[in-house]
Amino acid sequence: MASGLMLAPSIIFLAVCSIYPFIWIFRYVLYNYDGIPAHTRFTGMRNITNMFADATFWGSVGTTFEYALWKLLFIIPLALLMAVLLNQKLRGSGFFRGVFFMPTVISSSISGMIFTFIFATGNGILNGILQSVGIVNAPVGWLTDTSVVMASVIIMSVWAGFGNYMLYFVTGMTSISEDVYESSRIDGANAVQTFFKITLPMLSPVLKVVLMLAITGAFKDYEAIMVLTNGGPGTRTNVMFLYIYNLIFGTGSNATRQIGYGALLSLMAAVIVGAVTIIYNLVAKKLDDVV
Amino acid sequence: MRKLSLALAAMMLLTVLFAAVPAMADKTVITYWSNDRHDETYMSAIVEKFNAEHDDIEINMVIMTDDFENSILLAIDGGNAPDIVGQSVTLKNMVDYEAVVDLAPYIAADEEYQKVNDPYNHKYEGLNSIGDAIYWVPSGQRSGVRIEYNKALLAASGFEGIPATLPEYIEMAKKITEDGKANDPITYGIGFTSSSPFERQLEMMAQVSGVFYYDYVNGKFDFSGYKPFLEAGRELVAVAYPDQQGVDNMRAMFAAGTFALWGNASQEAGVFTNQFPITDFEWGVAPVPSLDGEIKGALQVNPNKGYLMLSACKNKDAAWEVIKYFQSEEVLIGYMEGGFDLPITSYIDERIDKSKMGRMGDYSLLEYESVYPAVPSINLTGDNYRTVLWNAIMGYVDIDAAIEDLNTRYNAAYDEDISLGFVQRLVISDYDPLHPAAGTVTWLDK
Repeated sequence: MASGLMLAPSIIFLAVCSIYPFIWIFRYVLYNYDGIPAHTRFTGMRNITNMFADATFWGSVGTTFEYALWKLLFIIPLALLMAVLLNQKLRGSGFFRGVFFMPTVISSSISGMIFTFIFATGNGILNGILQSVGIVNAPVGWLTDTSVVMASVIIMSVWAGFGNYMLYFVTGMTSISEDVYESSRIDGANAVQTFFKITLPMLSPVLKVVLMLAITGAFKDYEAIMVLTNGGPGTRTNVMFLYIYNLIFGTGSNATRQIGYGALLSLMAAVIVGAVTIIYNLVAKKLDDVV
Repeated sequence: MRKLSLALAAMMLLTVLFAAVPAMADKTVITYWSNDRHDETYMSAIVEKFNAEHDDIEINMVIMTDDFENSILLAIDGGNAPDIVGQSVTLKNMVDYEAVVDLAPYIAADEEYQKVNDPYNHKYEGLNSIGDAIYWVPSGQRSGVRIEYNKALLAASGFEGIPATLPEYIEMAKKITEDGKANDPITYGIGFTSSSPFERQLEMMAQVSGVFYYDYVNGKFDFSGYKPFLEAGRELVAVAYPDQQGVDNMRAMFAAGTFALWGNASQEAGVFTNQFPITDFEWGVAPVPSLDGEIKGALQVNPNKGYLMLSACKNKDAAWEVIKYFQSEEVLIGYMEGGFDLPITSYIDERIDKSKMGRMGDYSLLEYESVYPAVPSINLTGDNYRTVLWNAIMGYVDIDAAIEDLNTRYNAAYDEDISLGFVQRLVISDYDPLHPAAGTVTWLDK
C-alpha cells in the first residue's frame, strides 16, 4: 500500500505525459488530421504509403545520420580532451570550466541567432576576420554553399554541446582514486600511457552513458538548425525532426498542417533513434566482453 | 488640522477610486488580436481615442505576429479566445472549426458601413466569403510586387529605369554587378532574400507573362510554364549578392546601397521610409518585367486589413461596434493617408489626400492588377512549389525534374483529397488570365 502510494505520482505523470500522448499519436497515424475536427478523416494506409514515397523525409533521415556522425566525431573527443586538461588542477581551470559550459545554458534558438551573425556571407564576423588576415580572398558561403553549410551547423552544435559532456567526464574523473595515478607514476607511466591505461578504462562507464546521450541528442537536434539554416540551402541541412516539426505546425516550406502524417513520421523517427540506440548498446556490450 | 486634511484627502481619493472601479467594470472589453506591427502606432492611437470616447466598450488590442492562426486556434481551445482577429488566417479552416461569425446580417443592417466599405463588390469566394456568408471585409489592399531600385547604381551603369522584358532585366543586373566590382565596398546588381525568394520577383514576372501554377480551366495544377523563369533565375542568382538572408537583413542592405534591384510589394513604402529609411540615394519603384514585354496575365494583389469576429465572442454587438469603428471613414482615411495600405474602395480612394501618403503613392494599382480566386488547399506531402522551384533555380535539383515532381505530387494530392471529400475541384471554364476574378466558378466533386 505504502509503496503504491509512493509510486503513484511517478505513475500518474508517466501515464499523462508519456503514455497518453504516445497513444494519441498512434491514433492519428491512420487519419488526415490538421487540428480541425471537421477535416478529420480516416485515410487507412494513405499516410504510410506517402511516407515510403516521401523523398524529402528519407533525404532528411540521411541528413540526420550525416549530421549525427560528424557531430559525434568531434564533440566526444573534444569534450574528453578538455575534461582531461581541466582536470589537471591548473590555475584558472575552474574559470574555463564555466566558460566552456556556458553555451549549454544558452537556448538553442539564441545559439542559432548568434551563429547567423557569425556565418553571414557578406557581412558576417567570421568572413570579416578570415578576409582581414588574408586566409580567404572572397567571402565563404557558410550558410549558402551546400558544400560548406553542414560544417557550419556542426561547428555550432559542437560549440553548444561539448561543455555539457565535458562536465560529465570531469565528474567521472574525480571519482577515479588518486592512489591509482600515484601507482602508475611510481611504475614510470607517462601522461599518454596514464590516459589510455588508467583514465580511459576507469572512465568507461561514464563514457558509455555520455555516448548514448550524445547519440540520441544528435539524432533529435533541430531547434538551432531551424534558426540557423531552416534546413537549407535547399534541403542540405533538413534533419528529420525539423521536417516533422514543419509538417505538424504547418510552418516552413509546407504550409498546411499535417498532424496525422507528422505523427506517423514521429513514430518512424522514434523507431530509427531507438534502433540506433539498441545497436550502440549491443556494440558497447560486445566491447565490454572484449575488454 | 493637518492630520484632518490628510484624512479627508485620503477619503476623497478612496471615494474616487471606488467610484471608478465599477465604471471600469461596467465596460465591455473587446479583445482584438492583430498581426500587423507596421501600423501599431496609428492603431494604438485610434484605440485610445475610442476608449476615451466610449463609456460602454473598451478595446484591448494585442499584437501577435508569430504563428497567428495556430495561436488563435489554441486560444479558442483554451477558452481564452479574443473577440476579433485580423484577417491573416485560412478562412476555410476557421469556418470548418466553427470559429468565426458570418457578418452578412450585421452588414445588411448597416448602410453607412456598406457605403464606406462596399462589401458586396469586395466579396471573394474562399478568401473572405463562402457562399452568401461574409466573414471579413477588406479595408485596403497590398499591391502586387514591384521592383524597387537604386537610381544611383543604375545610373552609374548607364540605366535610367527598369526594362519591360526579363532578358533585358537580367542583362541590367549582370552589368551593374560587373561594374560594382570596382566599388569599395563591392556592389551588386540584385539581391534575394531567403524568405520565399521565388514569390518576391520571378513568380510575379511569370504571373504578368500569363503563367500561373493552377490551371483554372482544367481544374488542375500545372507548373510547366515556369521553366523559362527558372532558367532566368539561375542567371540572376549567378550575379546576385552572394548571400540570401532574412527579409529585414536584405532590406537593410538595399537601404545601405549594397545592391541595386529588390522586389517586394507596397509594404516597402513604409519600410524604406521609416524602418530602414533611405537617405543616401534616390530609389524608384517600377512594375515587374514580363518575359517578352507583353502583359498576358494579371498581377496578384491581396485584399487585407479585415476583421473577423470569433464565435467565442460573448458580446457580439459590441464587437461589431468595434469592427465598424475600425472600418469607419474617419479611421480609414487616416490609415490610408498614413501610408499603411492602399485603398480598396473608390469611396475611400476619392476622399484621401494622396499627397500625404508618402511613397505609398508609387504603389498605386496598375490596370492589370487583380485578386486571384483562392486555389484549394491540399494535403501535400513534401516541399511546396515555391521551395522546390527556388531549389531548381539554385541548382539543387534539375529544372525539368522539379517541374515533373510538382505536377505529379500536387495533382496526386489534389485528386486524393477530392476523392476523400476534403476539397472540391475548382474549375473556371471562362477563365481570363488578365481578369482572373471575373470568371464563373464551378466546384466539382471529382
